Amino acid sequence: MKKFSQLAIPYVAWAVMMLILPMVLIALYSVTEPGNTIISFTLTLDHYVRFFTDPDFLIILWRSLWIAVKTTIICLLIGYPVAFFIARSQEKVQNILVLCITIPMWINMLVRTYAWIGLLSEGGLIQRIFSLFGYSGSELLYTEGAVLLGMVYNFLPFMILQINTSLCKMDHSLLDASADLGANPVQAFWRVTFPLSLPGVINGITLVFLPAVSSFYIPKLLGGGKYFLIGNMIENQFITVGEWNFGSAISMIMAVIMMLLMMTVRKVEIRNQGGKEE
Amino acid sequence: MKKSKRTFGKILMLLMIVFFYLPILYMIIFSFNDGKSLTSFTGFSLRWYRHMLESSDMMESLYITFAIALIATAISTVAGTIAAIGLSKSKKIVRDLMEQVDNLPMMNPEIVTAIGFMLLFITFKVEKGFMTMLLAHIAFCIPYVILSVMPKIKSLDPNLADAAMDLGATPWQALTKVIVPQITPGIVSGALIAFTMSVDDFIISYFVTGGGVKNLSIMVYTMSKRVNPSINAISTLVVVIITIVLLIINIAPVLAAKRETKAEISGRRKLVPLAVGAVALISILIFCNLGGSGLSRKYEGQTLHVYNWGEYTGENIISDFEEETGCTVLMENFDSNEQMYIKVANGESYDILVPSDYMIQRLIDEGYLQKLDYSSLDCMDNLCESVLNLPYDPENEYSVPYFWGAVGIVYDKTKVDLEDLEKEGFAIFLDEKYKGDIYLYDSERDSFMMALKSLGYSMNTESEKELEEAYHWLVQCVQTMEPEIVTDEIIDNMAQGRKALGLIYSGDAAYVMSENEDMGYYLPESGTNLWSDAMVIPQNAKNPELAHEFINFVSDYDGAYDNSSYVGYTSPNQEVMDELSGEGGDYEEINAYIPRSGYEKDEVFVYNEATRKIISNLWSKVKIAASNAS
Repeated sequence: MKKFSQLAIPYVAWAVMMLILPMVLIALYSVTEPGNTIISFTLTLDHYVRFFTDPDFLIILWRSLWIAVKTTIICLLIGYPVAFFIARSQEKVQNILVLCITIPMWINMLVRTYAWIGLLSEGGLIQRIFSLFGYSGSELLYTEGAVLLGMVYNFLPFMILQINTSLCKMDHSLLDASADLGANPVQAFWRVTFPLSLPGVINGITLVFLPAVSSFYIPKLLGGGKYFLIGNMIENQFITVGEWNFGSAISMIMAVIMMLLMMTVRKVEIRNQGGKEE
Repeated sequence: MKKSKRTFGKILMLLMIVFFYLPILYMIIFSFNDGKSLTSFTGFSLRWYRHMLESSDMMESLYITFAIALIATAISTVAGTIAAIGLSKSKKIVRDLMEQVDNLPMMNPEIVTAIGFMLLFITFKVEKGFMTMLLAHIAFCIPYVILSVMPKIKSLDPNLADAAMDLGATPWQALTKVIVPQITPGIVSGALIAFTMSVDDFIISYFVTGGGVKNLSIMVYTMSKRVNPSINAISTLVVVIITIVLLIINIAPVLAAKRETKAEISGRRKLVPLAVGAVALISILIFCNLGGSGLSRKYEGQTLHVYNWGEYTGENIISDFEEETGCTVLMENFDSNEQMYIKVANGESYDILVPSDYMIQRLIDEGYLQKLDYSSLDCMDNLCESVLNLPYDPENEYSVPYFWGAVGIVYDKTKVDLEDLEKEGFAIFLDEKYKGDIYLYDSERDSFMMALKSLGYSMNTESEKELEEAYHWLVQCVQTMEPEIVTDEIIDNMAQGRKALGLIYSGDAAYVMSENEDMGYYLPESGTNLWSDAMVIPQNAKNPELAHEFINFVSDYDGAYDNSSYVGYTSPNQEVMDELSGEGGDYEEINAYIPRSGYEKDEVFVYNEATRKIISNLWSKVKIAASNAS
């Protein structure tokens, strides 16, 4: 029996090499001067100081977090009712609807984002529809709205599928029980259904928030060269500016912030589950 | 009450479906558009499909996407399953620790993971390309497989394997006959997740690839700046492939179920269609990779790595060259000199680069280029004298010009008063009359060139004070004028007349003017940047002989004509230049095609490391100011 545990050894070695070492390298780059080698380097915290003392960088960090929060909230507000209705429909319909939401996820994200360019650009379909309603507003493409739309479009399926899974797992007799005990449908929803779907909600939030914060191709394709998020800043440092040490420092900052946020979210989840058991 | 709820639900579902499928449908429709526009449908045609099939780049990217996905899925499914079984029997501390490690790629922003891989490969000097992309994909797929297999293993009776072995099974038999069949559903869903993640991946692939290897995402990302409906065509093809695979996976179990007895384990039912799907995909791969004739030519089977600007080659030149020499051209694109430099400086090997003037000087200074072998070059006599022996490479020892031109202002004659342009020059970009109606070009050098020239300084200034002034000029521009900062998007947008003014390269202006008669091109009297891009051969080129061959081919009349007439930039080949700008040529009466020569205020960029750093930092601050102003 114990022999099987040896099967894990190659993977542990692989994980150290491919998963841990890269993080160590980023950390190492972020605290060293440019032009250092593995063998000789000088430590410095300059890159972190540079980031935190420049208000422009902080604004971008703030904006990236904020747009990710907005994306997550919108996805939750749209995604929950959708998941709810899917879970309430007949099983056959349910399978078809889930498939309908899964198919776009299989089609390349870049391709789907690119498709919005034509829809949103001047004289495109969306603007024509808007002008039918008498709204001939300014440009749609290359605005913050377009970036937000692109993010919601790309990440909404994650939210729907996660919530739907946890709603489907729910024991329906609990609703009957709560009705028998005199709860009206609204109370039943908030006291029974919603708390039970919370794990799905939290998984959904994670799956939407994480890519939304760090996305750099959605702002680049739909936001034009003007809409800068932290992902674009990192890309820029590595691809065009070439200051890898500073870029690594920004990556570290982002990784740590996300780690802390995710830990908080998990804590909330655990506390909630603990509450139920009592 | 209940009924209204149900209608609400139905409407919501309908809106959802529309939301998810509208862009996909729109893309499919416009892939059949006759015109180039993404907004107006002018007629049905298969032209973009033909274009797609002819573009070896696009077919290659499709092949790479699915090849990587299939191999990565296969390897990570097997490795992940083995690892999960092993881990489940390991000590608790190992198991918990590894669970945390496995979470790394999932809990980290993808870009951080991507940069980690990139630094890893560079630190260990692994040449970036197909292998690195594959390794990275395997690395981020395995955790997903483990994640979906682990719960199935945990739900097994821990004594199952022991029981099998007590009954005389070898450990291998216990594993394959007892454990694996029990956890098949977990393995199948793990494989599906791995495949989805790999097909869809952009960020990680983008940072770890090299040597011209691109998957579909990278191709779309680098091509998306100019309207190119073949992207729609290839996307439609992907939609069709994916739909077929999904249908097989979802329908085949139903069909299979009719035949099989109910006693069959559900896992096996899923395996059959999966195998069918994989076979279908592999046959598509083989189809994509067909081609190549049996003729034996001088360079048969060799490859030429070219690193060039995006959308910078003629329609047929690459395929013609491949036809003539029998080699395969791997083309990789960059959108700034700096981006190219970083890759070259990190030791990536190319046979031909096409950098601009100042960058060539930098590459020469830092020893990255090799001298040209004039005995195998026969093209130098055809070239225009104004573009030879320039200060960046005074004797043309290292470089052969590819395109040349100036930087000017493209303007809509119906919206912009020529008098304003003549009076203000580049300062028209600060004239609030045109607020919200201008494009800046996302190039640090040319933006500073514009500001410096407008202030009356040399664009090669080393004075920090003058650079600081130019920085404030640009900040004023982005804060008061609401400009769009674009790169190649300017070409199609100005051709459509979307804005009044833009900073533009002469060749792009020539194209814009040939598409739209209302457009004009103006060179300010304060002088401008006279640039040239030239072909050079890096020190670490693997096939310099073929590279020389390529230089000859491109500089020759046919090659140069194809390049210049298709792209719109001025050819260094005198004959081609005369013909295209002369009577009946593509660019007759288009002043942007022939660069201004002999004007004393025009300059050529000179490389200076100290000013480059200052400009580069100041320009990212200008862009940040622009994004914070909106």
